[in-house]
Order: sequence, then structure tokens, then C-alpha cells
Amino acid sequence: MTAPRLRATGRKVRVLFSMQFALMAEYRAEVVIWMLSGTLSLVMMLVWMAQAAAAPGGMVRGYTPADFATYFLSTWLVSQLLVVWVSHELDYEIRQGVLSPKLLRPLDPFWQHLLGHVSERFIRIVPMLALLGVFTWLSGARYTTHWWAYPAALGLVVLGFSARFLWEYTIGLLSFWTDSSSSFQEIVWLVYAALGGMFAPLAFYPDWVQRIAVWTPFPYMLGLPSQLLAGKATLAQAGQGALILTGWLAVFWVVRVTVWRAGLRKYGAVGA
Amino acid sequence: MTRYLRLIRIFTGATVAAQLEYRANFVGAVLASLGQVGVALLGIGVLFGQPGTTSVGGWSFREALLVTGFYMLTEGFIAVFVQPNMSRIAEAVRTGSMDFTLLKPIDAQFNVSTRNLNVLRAPDILIGVGLIVYAAAALTVTPGSVVAALLLYASALVIVYCIWLGLSTTAFWFVKTQNVTELFSGVFGAARFPSTAFPVPVRFLLTFVVPVAFVTTVPAQALTGQLGWTLAVASPLVAAALFVVTRLFWRHAVASYTSASS
Repeated sequence: MTAPRLRATGRKVRVLFSMQFALMAEYRAEVVIWMLSGTLSLVMMLVWMAQAAAAPGGMVRGYTPADFATYFLSTWLVSQLLVVWVSHELDYEIRQGVLSPKLLRPLDPFWQHLLGHVSERFIRIVPMLALLGVFTWLSGARYTTHWWAYPAALGLVVLGFSARFLWEYTIGLLSFWTDSSSSFQEIVWLVYAALGGMFAPLAFYPDWVQRIAVWTPFPYMLGLPSQLLAGKATLAQAGQGALILTGWLAVFWVVRVTVWRAGLRKYGAVGA
Repeated sequence: MTRYLRLIRIFTGATVAAQLEYRANFVGAVLASLGQVGVALLGIGVLFGQPGTTSVGGWSFREALLVTGFYMLTEGFIAVFVQPNMSRIAEAVRTGSMDFTLLKPIDAQFNVSTRNLNVLRAPDILIGVGLIVYAAAALTVTPGSVVAALLLYASALVIVYCIWLGLSTTAFWFVKTQNVTELFSGVFGAARFPSTAFPVPVRFLLTFVVPVAFVTTVPAQALTGQLGWTLAVASPLVAAALFVVTRLFWRHAVASYTSASS
């Protein structure tokens, strides 16, 4: 890329970001409510904590109540950073024809959605950390003291978010053909939550599920960063996870571009 | 009274006819139902899948499955009967079409609560009933406990309806309320498990602050004959109290309604 083109791209990113940030700031109350409505990690945390407290020896598979609190609060934090709602937006835009004017712009609408999600993270982070502090204090969770775990977890979260954004975008694009894309989205979410480790750490699942899970991107975007924060994963594992996620990112990118091109040929403005 | 029954029949006919126009959506709705039951079953599946685990919060697997069944049934009840009506209240207040509802010579609360159905989500109800029957088949259930469970579940449905109506009625003041009901769904997720599976302070919250324990745990306990008298009496009392309070709240909201204008 030449210098002027680079500058132009930088300006586009800056404009889109500040526009989307202003938009999301208007929805700040909703952002907090969306955050609170994702309770699966917290519900599972409470059940497992009670389960460990009642078990003989005070542990289930070597996890004490405090270990469960640490793990599930970490999955809560990570899943908050991985939230993606783009498929609903695309479903609406395609069905209502709102997509049409956006196609006239010399920019793939993909980037606008992406920066919308990224800027929302900056709104979310303050109440999120405050809530995390309260939950940590109430539940007795303890995070790792190794400093390298935090940038490693953040790196995995960035890769994981990109992967999830791409697959959710692709699901949203299915609205070119069907009205039921949001139902597919729910099913994919279920696989993501299950194999990601939102119901229990992956080691708690049957062996055959674990053998399948290691080939999917899900454990590396949700379970692995959580285990890093809990001090139960090594840097080598993080590196391996990052490699696998990068591979999946490439696959999702190709699929996204292919489906987008095919969808545009199918699109007939409103009434598609 | 017969007039209202006849109205329910007309409303149901109209809404079902409208939905059958969009039959293709049925596939999507079935997927959504499978997703719901998947989350609920995975939750208890992993808990009971641990070696040496025979009970969760004092509940055996079949008993806990009973709670999951009531959870699915209630999700279905909300998706079919409650949510399609309540989500329209905010829209009607915002656009001013609430005017027409209030002008009709029938009770406005009755009208907004019964006008619509989402029959596409009926599979949730079937899955819920199926789970309950499957779980109860391996437990000792007496006719008396079935009657008690039915009565307590009826009061559970009243509680759910009242909470939704109360939250949706806030739309008369705060235009956007869809998010508030999201919040309820978040808390209601805890009803997938017996309330005794939670630590004691949380159990207290789920019984007295947000009464979701009455919705799934109490009917399941009634069915297995493990329910104490206090909760059995408390459930209808809570339901009745909530019904009166939301009724008064609704009337207060309607009285302060000024229609849509700038």
C-alpha cells in the first residue's frame, strides 16, 4: 500500500470509529442491560460452586468453589468481549432493503459493522470491569498473578472476536436466501457456548466431545483465555490456540467473501 | 364472561390464520426450540455427567429433569402466549395505536394480553410436556400430587404473566421496554435448575425477590411429593398479590396515558 492510500484508509477508520462510537454512546443504558442479560456463565458458576461445596472433600474434579468462581467469571468476562449481534442487523437490513443505499458507497458495509462492534467494546468496558469487581468480591474468585497471562488472553480474545464476527456475519448474510437466519444463529451459539466451555470447563466433558472440540475454534476463544486468567493454562497452549484460531480466521474470511458475492447476485433490493 | 370467551376464540382464529401465511418460518422456529432445549439439557447433562455425582442440590437426575421440563414448558408459554402480546404494548404506546385499544368496549388489559399468539413456538410446549412425562415416568407420582402440581403450575403461570405485564406496562413512561424483559429472561435462566442447586443467599433471592423458584422448582416438588406446606401456600398467595398489584399498576398507567404526540 502506498503512503497516500494508507493515509486515506486511516482517515476512513477514524471517521467510522468516531461515528459508531457516538452512536453506541447513545445506547449506553441498553449496553448495560444487554450485558446483564447474558447470565448463563453466572448461573452455571453458582450451580457448580454449590455442587463443589456439597461434594465430599469440597471439590469436583479438583475444582474448589473458588476455582469455579474464577473460571466462570473469566468466561463471563471473555464472552462479554466476544458479543456479536451483526447477524440480526444484517437480517433486518436485507429484509427491509436498508442495505441498498449502503451498497452505493465505495466501502464494503462489513467495515462499518465491524467498527460498530469494536467501538461498543470501549463503552462496555467500564461497567463491565465494575461488575466484574463486585462479582469477584462476592464469589471469592482469584485471578493469576503471572502478568503474561493477561496480554496472552487479550490476544486470544481479539482473534476469537474476529473469528466470531466473521461467522456471525456469514450467518447474517444467509438472510439473502432465508428468513430464518436468526434461528441458525441460535444453534451456532449453542455449539459455541457448549464447546467454548460456558457450561463447564472442557475437561469436564466426555472424551469424545473433547476430541471433536480441539478441532473447532471454540475452546481457544472462550475456554482457553479463561483458563489463562485462572492460571491453569501455559503460554505454549496460548500460542497453539492462537495458531489454530488464525487458521480458522482465514477459512471464515474466505467463506464470508464467497457468501457475500453470491448473496449480492441474489439480492433484489426490498422483497428479496 | 361468555363474551370474553367468545373474544378469545375470535382472537385465536385471527392470529393463527395470520401466522399460517408464513409457514416457512416454522423450520426456523423449530430450530430455535431445539436450541432452547439444548441449552437446558446440556446444563444438567454436564452436571450429572461427573463421576460420582448422583444428585444436584438434593435432586436426582430424573427429578432435576422434571425442573428442566417445567422450564421448557414455561419458555413455551412465554413465547406462545405472553411475549407476542407484551412486546406490542411498547410499540402501541410509542405509535399511539394504544388509543384504539383503549376505545374498544372491552377490558383493555384483557385485550392487550390475549390478542396475539405465536403458534410457531408451540413445539417448546410439546418438548416441555414430553420432558415432564419422561421424567415423571421413573418417579413415584400419585394422582394427588399431579393435581397439586397442576394447581401450583397454574399459579406459576399467573406469576410469569404478571411479571411480564408489570415490566411491559412501564412502557407508558419509558418508551423502550424490550430490554427490561431481556433482563427478566436473564434471571429466568436460573429456573433451569432446582432452586436448591444454588448457594443459600441466591436461593433466597430466587424465591422472594424474583420469584422464579415458584415457577419451576415448586411444581416439580409438588409432583414428587417433596413440597412443604409453606411454599405450597405461598405460591398462590404470591400469584394473587402480583395479579392485584399489576392490575392496579396497569390502571394507573392507562390513566396517565396521553397518547402519542410531540
